[in-house]
Amino acid sequence: MPAAEQMSRGEAGDFLQSLLNKNLRVTTTDARMFWGGFKCTDPESNVILQHTYEYRHPSTQQLLLAEAVATTGNNNNGTIKMEMQSRYLGLVVIPGKYITKIEVEEFASQLPK
Amino acid sequence: MKTTTQDEATVSEELAQLSVNNPNLVEMDDPPPPQITSEGIITTDITHKFKAAASTLEPGELIKDGFFTLFESVGSLEIMDPKMDSGCLAPGESLDEEYDVTRPLLPSEVLGIIDQLLCLEMAWHLGYPLSQTLFTNVYIEAMQMPSPTTIQEAHFIRSDDNQGDGAAQNPMFTVLRAYCLGLLKACWYVNERIKSEHYYEEEDFVTNTYHRSLLEDIDRTEIRDEILAARRLLHSIRHEISEEVSQALSLRLELRTAFLRAIELSELRSNPDSLSLPWSQMKAVWAAINKSHHLGKPVPEAFSTKIQRRVASTMPPRPIVHLSFEETFKHFNNLLEDGIEVLKVLNYHDPQSLLNFVLTFQAKKPQPLVYIRTLLQNFLFKDMVILGNLSIRQVLDADLSIVVLPGSRLLDPANDAVEAPYDPRFAMAHQMEVFRQRAAQSYLDIHRAFCQNRCRVRRTLCHSIQDWETVQIDAEDIDQLLAVQLEEQPMSYTTTLTSSSEPALSLPLSSWAYLYKLRLMEWIVQLGFELETYQPDELAGMYWYLSYLAKTRAQHVERIKAFTVSRYNEKRIAGTSKVTKSEEEQHKRSLSYLRVTLIDAAVTWELADGLSCLYTVLHRLKLIPTYPGPYSSDELRYDIRMKPFSTVGLPELPSFETFKNATAQPDTSTADLLTYALRAVEGAKRGFHDGLAVLNEKEAFTVGTHERWVARTKNTLKSVISTSIAIGAVQRALNNNGENNNKECRDDVLHNDLKVEVPKPDKTYHEWWIVPKITVTEKKKAAGGEGV
Repeated sequence: MPAAEQMSRGEAGDFLQSLLNKNLRVTTTDARMFWGGFKCTDPESNVILQHTYEYRHPSTQQLLLAEAVATTGNNNNGTIKMEMQSRYLGLVVIPGKYITKIEVEEFASQLPK
Repeated sequence: MKTTTQDEATVSEELAQLSVNNPNLVEMDDPPPPQITSEGIITTDITHKFKAAASTLEPGELIKDGFFTLFESVGSLEIMDPKMDSGCLAPGESLDEEYDVTRPLLPSEVLGIIDQLLCLEMAWHLGYPLSQTLFTNVYIEAMQMPSPTTIQEAHFIRSDDNQGDGAAQNPMFTVLRAYCLGLLKACWYVNERIKSEHYYEEEDFVTNTYHRSLLEDIDRTEIRDEILAARRLLHSIRHEISEEVSQALSLRLELRTAFLRAIELSELRSNPDSLSLPWSQMKAVWAAINKSHHLGKPVPEAFSTKIQRRVASTMPPRPIVHLSFEETFKHFNNLLEDGIEVLKVLNYHDPQSLLNFVLTFQAKKPQPLVYIRTLLQNFLFKDMVILGNLSIRQVLDADLSIVVLPGSRLLDPANDAVEAPYDPRFAMAHQMEVFRQRAAQSYLDIHRAFCQNRCRVRRTLCHSIQDWETVQIDAEDIDQLLAVQLEEQPMSYTTTLTSSSEPALSLPLSSWAYLYKLRLMEWIVQLGFELETYQPDELAGMYWYLSYLAKTRAQHVERIKAFTVSRYNEKRIAGTSKVTKSEEEQHKRSLSYLRVTLIDAAVTWELADGLSCLYTVLHRLKLIPTYPGPYSSDELRYDIRMKPFSTVGLPELPSFETFKNATAQPDTSTADLLTYALRAVEGAKRGFHDGLAVLNEKEAFTVGTHERWVARTKNTLKSVISTSIAIGAVQRALNNNGENNNKECRDDVLHNDLKVEVPKPDKTYHEWWIVPKITVTEKKKAAGGEGV
């Protein structure tokens, strides 16, 4: 583990506190992503998010379908663009053992330059 | 506390709706390539840092928002928990529907799918949600999503540009589509009917349609045309596909048109004979459908729980309800039979027959399905018009005339026309209207209550008791005022059950209310037997209480009868010209009703009395199992059982001491108890043979439901006979031990010689009469043989 991540307890607590109420994007082992306001965590990294939306990648079937549509169309430039499917879930708890990725959203304007 | 959290919630919701936070604007970063619409937002991967930071926390330590309580978190969804997370997929599972609705179907496959849909439709009728039944079918889902607004759109294969597309024109698709159209539309009507009446959501039925329209916007005539066209098509291709299969498919389509027609006609609420035509047609078709079920080839792939992930519900998928075709056949048959029978309620004859219809129809085993029960409610009460053409007043006045006021001036409609305020008829019309306003709702509620499921019937009646108590009290005030207007003189009366009374007024309206209250109380106890509310060791006590109530009712009916007879005689003595033919008929009808009620009350009283004594004896012989309850006592249990009746003023609730004494009867010997029980039961038997058995439908007030009533009465008679057999068996065993003078020793012998089985209500002749089965043990039989 890199030395940079060896935080003291105080620093760690401050870091987690600073994330509260920010919007997190949490990805789970089944490649779904959950977007919601960070409310709570514990030593196992179980995460509670508020007002959560679930995002899921388009299925292969849908991709194929979209591809078929794209190839028949005229403006075929080799790439297709698809929205992720989303669904509102509300308050969720994501067990730490299923979390593969955590991202935090910040306003570019508020970041230290 | 609550308001602050609510405020917080609304504030954070509003914040969430600000454009920056709007999740719909946030795009993803994995494939497809990231397209960040809002330039102002940057995401940073903090996975490692986060996990490392969290791992430094002490066990049990939490980092949380100060306004967030763990109490709130209880309501959260746990992601990846298959029981909670409806988006959780098993390894290798895909969210995609692998089934292709455009794949060609064999005729036998269409038949198989239709039969499976029939099973699922029945499961829905039985109370399972659409999401676990019909909505698991891919064709149904494809037809409804997106929601079709025209008949052309209502197809599981939709292609706007190529109308003449071969796939959509496949004859088998046309048949399946027509069937689904008819099915969904029928489901919409059924669902609407149930929603508009009184029923218990999730207990009786689930009305949730998960934002599917069930073809609400599409006219039923268009659907009927589609089905007819499909049947014509089937006819034309019957040689290409086999004749048998074509016929089978056509029958299923016929079922759908007949069902829609039955629903359409039931809205008319008149002329039951013509209403029953489509039901009879369905019944005939249904028998034929059952015979052709084997021709179908099941297509299990066309049904999937995955569709549930798309319905508007956060519930994880639950399994498809599999009802076998045999069960479906049975339930459907019941549904159709009940559908035909329920229409007979529209043949109104008199209010007592109507009540008897509801009582006996709803007592059917199995009870009619919720759709039929709501249909009955619709017939009875829709728009406050009883059975489509009667006002509540007509029914109520007719009932008053039968029960307490035959040929009375109080019920003369001409009273309403009197405008002179000093005329007694003006006051009568006014007071009667006050009474009707007070009593009508309670009266109709009895009918409504009996349209619910059996447990709810009993619960609702327990609540209604209080209501009837106040109706009775209010009615007594009105009775006093009316007696003044009628210049009624107090009269003393004697009956067979009571010796002479103090002079009293007839109090017809409160007498009427009291009679209903007593019936309600009896029903509550009787339904207690039916629903297994009482343990075997409580039966002696509860049958004693039932006999107490029934005896009170018999006495009350005798009182009503005494006044009715005297009023009639007075009128006749006053001059023959005054008694019109209609009045005389009303009198005759009322006396006939009072007679039936009296016999019914007497039979109930005597049989309950006999059973109570028998159970007391069995209790003494320790042949009835008792359940040790460490926190229960007889007195506490008595309080619980009598709770519905504790607020009733009349009949007075017996004290626990009285109840205990009456149940144990410590001063009467076992032999005497049995003799007494036998006499009571013989009395009940006489009541049948001389009274109930010889009545025709008009005399019994069972017009339209006489057969069912006769069957029920016969079952009570069978209970009477089996009770006397049981008493006889105990008596014989007792007499065989006659030489044994030591009572305790004798009881021990009897305890070993006899075996008692208290049957479940559904194993009895009549679910209100739990008659014990008594057998002599083998050992004793052998010993007896030696003795001879």
